Order: sequence, then C-alpha cells, then structure tokens
Amino acid sequence: MTSSRRSFLATGLALPAAGLAIPRPGRTPAVPSAAPAAPDKLAFRTLGKTGLKVTSLGFGCMITSDASVIVRAADAGINYFDTARGYQSGNNERMVGAALKSKRQQVHISTKTGAKDKAEALAQLDTSLKELGTDYVDIWHLHGKQTAAQLTDDLLEAQQIAKKAGKIRFAGVSLHSGHAEVIPAAIQSGKIDVILMAYNFTMGSRLDEWIVKAKAAGLGVVAMKVMAGGYRHLRDDSPSGAILKRPGAMSAALRWVLKNPDIGTTIPSMTDMDQFEDNFKCMPAKFSAEDEKTLAAHLERIGPLYCRMCSLCAGTCRRGLPVSDLLRFVTYADGYGQFALGRERFRELPGDVTAVRCGDCAHCTVQCPHGVHVAERISRAQELFG
Amino acid sequence: MRGLALFLAAAAASFAQAPDCGLLSGWTQQGEARSFTGGNLFEYMDGNAEGYLLYHFVRMRGVNCQSGEDTLVFDVSEMENAEWAYGMFASNRDPRVPVEKIGTETQIVPRRAILVKDKYFVEIGSSKEQADVLRQFVRATEKRIAGSSEPPEALTWFPQEKLVPGSVRMVPESVLGIGALKRGYVAEYDTGKAFLVKETSPESAAEVMNKLRARIGGTAPVKVADEGFEATDKYLGRLCFFRKGRMIGGFTGLGGGADATAITAKLAESLK
Repeated sequence: MTSSRRSFLATGLALPAAGLAIPRPGRTPAVPSAAPAAPDKLAFRTLGKTGLKVTSLGFGCMITSDASVIVRAADAGINYFDTARGYQSGNNERMVGAALKSKRQQVHISTKTGAKDKAEALAQLDTSLKELGTDYVDIWHLHGKQTAAQLTDDLLEAQQIAKKAGKIRFAGVSLHSGHAEVIPAAIQSGKIDVILMAYNFTMGSRLDEWIVKAKAAGLGVVAMKVMAGGYRHLRDDSPSGAILKRPGAMSAALRWVLKNPDIGTTIPSMTDMDQFEDNFKCMPAKFSAEDEKTLAAHLERIGPLYCRMCSLCAGTCRRGLPVSDLLRFVTYADGYGQFALGRERFRELPGDVTAVRCGDCAHCTVQCPHGVHVAERISRAQELFG
Repeated sequence: MRGLALFLAAAAASFAQAPDCGLLSGWTQQGEARSFTGGNLFEYMDGNAEGYLLYHFVRMRGVNCQSGEDTLVFDVSEMENAEWAYGMFASNRDPRVPVEKIGTETQIVPRRAILVKDKYFVEIGSSKEQADVLRQFVRATEKRIAGSSEPPEALTWFPQEKLVPGSVRMVPESVLGIGALKRGYVAEYDTGKAFLVKETSPESAAEVMNKLRARIGGTAPVKVADEGFEATDKYLGRLCFFRKGRMIGGFTGLGGGADATAITAKLAESLK
C-alpha cells in the first residue's frame, strides 16, 4: 500500500525537461563563488565499504524550500545531500539538482525510490537523474522498507542494473522501523551498501546492536530523524517544546548521534541558515554533560508517556489489547489535542477489545522497556474513549 | 438534540470529503479504506510525512480504486485551513505544467492529479496514463467538497506584470532560507524573486527588519514604504527589502541593471 502510493505519486508527474524551478541563465547568480571551508571545522567519516569520505553532518533537503541554504552548506564543505523522488512530488530533487549543479564533483547525492517493481524503479531513477541534472547518483535507496519481504529480489536487481549502467554508485535502503528485520535482510542480500535509518536520543541504545552489525558487515550507516522528529510542531509553551526549543537543545540531540562512531553521517532537515550554522558547529564538538542534562530533561518528561513504537509489547497483554495502538490513540487526545480522532480510532477496534478495562487485571503483564506507564495510559484511553 | 444534530452534520460532512471510488462508474474500491493523522502518517509514507506536517496536516482519508487492470491511489488530506491546503498544493504542483480552474486549483498530468479546495488537498495517482479519468474524478470530488474555491488573499498581493505564471507559493518556514522570516509567500519575476511576509504587528515587523539588517550587513537605506534597505548578499544576490505596516517584502536576485528601488516600491504599492 505504502509503496504503491509513493510510486504512483512519484511517477505521476510526467517530466518535461527544463523548467521554471530550474534557475535560468542569468537569473540565479544569487549564488556567487564558493567560500573555502575552514578544514578544522569539518569532520569526515568513511561511509562503510563505499569508501566515501563524508562530512559527519550531511543535509536532509526534504523540507528545504530555498536553494540558497543548500548552496551555503556546500560552500562550507558539507558533501552529503539527501533527497527523494517523492519529496514535493519531484520538486525537491529539481531544487537540489539546481543548487548543487556547479559542485557535482565535490558532493555526494543520495535519492530514493518508492517503486514497487524493477521496471518502475528504473524509470523513476531516470526521472531522478533528469531532475537532479546529473548522470549518476552516489547512493540510490529503496525508500521506507519496514519488513524483509519488502526488499524484493526484483528491487535489489534494479539497483544492480543501475549500478552496472553507471547510474548509481551504491545501493541503499531506508527504514524508519523494522530494523531487526530489514538490516539482517540487507546484510544477507550482499547487495546493499548503505543503510539510512531513523536514529536519535529517544531510542537510547535500542538500535546499537543493529548499527554494530551493519557496520561489521561493511555497510555505511546514515542517520535520519536525528532530532527526534516533530519538534517543529511542538508548541513553545508546552513542557516538551520548552525543553527542545531552548537554545542548544537541538544541537545536543545532533551531538548525541554524532558521538556514535559507527554512524557515517547524519541528515538533519534544515530550512534556514541559522539552523545550518548551529548544526555545522556540532561537527567537531563533543557531546557534553550539559547536553546529557538537556536531553535527560526531555526524556524524563516524555518517558512515561511517549510510545517509541518499538513493538516489543506486541502480544504481551494477556487480554489481547493492541498496546501500541491504544497508546497512540491516547496520544492523539493528550499530545495533539485531537480527542475526536483518538475516539474514532478507538471505536474502530473490535468490541471485545474496547470492552476490556485494565482495572480488571490485578497485575499488568505489559512491561515497556522504555518506561511508558502502559496500564495507566491505556486506562486513560478506556476512560476517554470507552 | 442539538448536539446530536451537530454530530450528524459533522459525520455527514466528514463522509462527503472522503475519497470515493464510486464517483465514476466502473470503478470499485479495492481493499480497506485508510485513515491517518499527524501522529501516524509516517506509517503510510515514512519520511515524506514531514512534508505534510509542515503544512499543518490534520488528517487523511484514502482508498485504492480499481477498474479492470487499472488502479488509482486516491487520498484526501485535510489541512488546518484553506491557506495551508493551498500551500501544500503549491509545493506539490509542477511549476512547468499549467493548472486548471477546478476547485481552487487543479493540476493534472497523465498519471497524477492534485486538487485543492478550501482546506482539502486531494491527490490521485494512476497506474497508467489517463488524464481524462483523473479529470473526471477530480471534478466529481470537487463537487462534494463544501467550502470556498477562492485562492488565498496572498496571491493578490503580487503584481501581475512580469510575474512567472504559477510561481507563487507559500513557504511554511524560513522564507529565503532566513529564520527571521518565519512564514510567507514567494513569487518569481523576470527581474528576480519577490517575497512577502506578514508579521503580527508593525512593531514586530520593524524588529525583524533590524534582524535582517544585522544578518545581511552592508545595507543602505532606501525610501520604500515605511522603511527599506538595499544590499548585496553572497547567497541572495542583489536585494531590496521594505516594511509596510506589518508586512515585510522585497526582491532578491535582482540583475545589475534593474532599478531595485522602483521594482520594490511597486510591490509595496500593491499591498492595500
């Protein structure tokens, strides 16, 4: 379902050649010559068996709307830029390509396909190359795979064909969840060079095992969602917003990821020059005790409430409750102020599930490894929606 | 009683906005309908979800439709208001392809259609090229969506002369890549890129102007509206910014021969 939507929407736009979003000759010299980066401020790492020397800070271009920020980052020496066929229906690839056109040889570009089969994937790659204005991408990811079964032979073959044709240098897979399935499958395939995965301080050491295994197998590991995602939508006056939006808090989150030497590079989203400059300073900096304190304050606040969706609770309720779903529904109400939606989703559950009351059990069999107060939170869902 | 009536009205409205394969004869729903909110949209589209949340996404309803071998992926997203929905549409439309006046605006390419009307953003992707079918679905869907088909007022702020068609778009965060310009609109002209940002008050706008002067450096004052300055920035090129009441606007990327003050003054004058 997911891939079909992505692929439909990504291939949907037939792509005429030159366009309005591409700077026209004489129109966008808003980007004068590159300033040499101060080498001591850049930190480089090797991206697994690809051998690519990448800056530990890369650039997630997905929500960037002004190309000047990307150009500025490249001028400063950042050499890893990430986009995808599906971002802004292809407009994002076009902007990234235009911004990096004059620096193609100095930077590494990764993009992604959400295609469901080989033919569609290869067609999307051709469109990506056209939009990016290049004849190769450095890393081509299969986008958003959550299960081993989604890494089909067909898609892996598409990557190999593209590699042989010189259209991609390396093959990758991106994932937000399902690490325990997807990473071993990627390793076992012997065809994946890079893993792009969600990784941030809220996950603690939960994913370290998989990062170590990927690294040991020679895969490069790129971290996304390094700032725990969603902080942009936190209200300034909410307790979490107050912590995460305080000066330096997002830098602390980035430094937390960078302290893991097995991470090849990071791709935080950046929309303006201030954000870029803050992140740029993190490269040579060490994760400090002050950073630890800042992040701990946030974790303490969200710990009992925030479901990390690790799925370790699946099947552990003796009454058969879908624990992570119920935690999510109550978060709609308490976290996002969308009570009606929480109730709507709750009422879509089977009657024998909605009839359960946690108070009827003397002891809860569900133990969240991240400290979420499961029985308390689900009781609240039952009280609110039941 | 009134509560029940309101509930039923809301339920009916909610149903009316939902995507429906039966809008065209010969098409049937394939599988379950889906529904997502900001809390779980990533389950449907992973990282791409952030692009929706940026435009104040509220919820999405979707279905897959089938007719013989052909399939459609049909999603209707509700954004916080019509302005955000238009912003979402503009960020997803291909600026090289014309739009049609169906709803507020529609863009149809052979395998994809997007429509915006009121606070709803509709996407239909097709397994094969069939613009006519997409257009029929869009027209039928548009009729079921209540609300205004008027574009956001911001589109009228930009003078039409030398405006590149279809280039006006909302920037939800960091206009021109500058954090102080929180949210606004940009438009492409033959002469450069124009922008407009509405601040909460003239005082806060004046404060932002001071931040911009400090950020850009080397500014020279110009007489445009309440206050203005000219400068050349390494990344934004030759620029001219002004403040008019609580509005901040200007041009970047102006060519060497352009009369920056005159062009910018025209933009300021277009603001009523």
